[in-house]
Amino acid sequence: MKSIQDIEKLNMADWDRIGADESIPVPEDLEVRLPRRRTAIVWSAAASVAVVAGIGLTALLHTPEPEDTFSDPYLAYAAVEQAFTRMGKTVSQSADILNQKESELDKVIYWK
Amino acid sequence: MKKFYTILTALLLAVTAFAQSGKELYNKYSDLDGVSAVYVSPAMFRMIGKIPDLDMESKNGESVNLTPIIKSLSGFYLLTADEPAVIEKLYAEVKRVVDNRKCELLFEAKEDGEITRLYSFGNGNTISSVILTSKEAEEFTYICLEGNMDREQLENILAEAAK
Repeated sequence: MKSIQDIEKLNMADWDRIGADESIPVPEDLEVRLPRRRTAIVWSAAASVAVVAGIGLTALLHTPEPEDTFSDPYLAYAAVEQAFTRMGKTVSQSADILNQKESELDKVIYWK
Repeated sequence: MKKFYTILTALLLAVTAFAQSGKELYNKYSDLDGVSAVYVSPAMFRMIGKIPDLDMESKNGESVNLTPIIKSLSGFYLLTADEPAVIEKLYAEVKRVVDNRKCELLFEAKEDGEITRLYSFGNGNTISSVILTSKEAEEFTYICLEGNMDREQLENILAEAAK
């Protein structure tokens, strides 16, 4: 086995001679190894694209903070309270509709 | 490589879904003609939290304590549109947000041509968004409350408010 220093000292003629030497065995899995190296390059390129895309998306999706509608917390609270009242009204309406349907269903069952 | 594209697509979809928050919709529609808008920031919620006795009146006149839920809120967005073109656009976008985020439909009420729906988004015991949509022929209202709400607490308040 040659050391790295020995390999670095080789010139082009030496490389041609070594390449033509058929007594040097070619590793059986050389073809398997080469595509792996290519895959690694493709993956690292893809990872770089992903990082750039991630940074770009973060910048693009950064939504600015809107301005507060109220400067008085009591007015802001009144708006939020109104929203909860409206939500409660929806729940109440749904329950009323359900009760109404249930009583209609009871009547049908009773008359049958 | 196919695996990478799948992961990247999933990541993009997740980021897009995350970005479709109340804030994004508010920024997009609040300045349009025919839209009235209200926004309450996290800083304002901290100030509201210092008000003593945050109560609201239930349907039968009883007092419902809102303090714990108010303290868990970080954003309030309200958009009301009355221009037909804006109504359609906003309604379609809200529907997409609700579908993409797989929000849970809590209640739906249809009365006199008005359809009101209440959705929640979260996991297990915590709700991060409550969305109310109300559609009439000439008006569409979108309300979004964001925060870190306790599911049981919210359900109790809604049940109390409905009494």
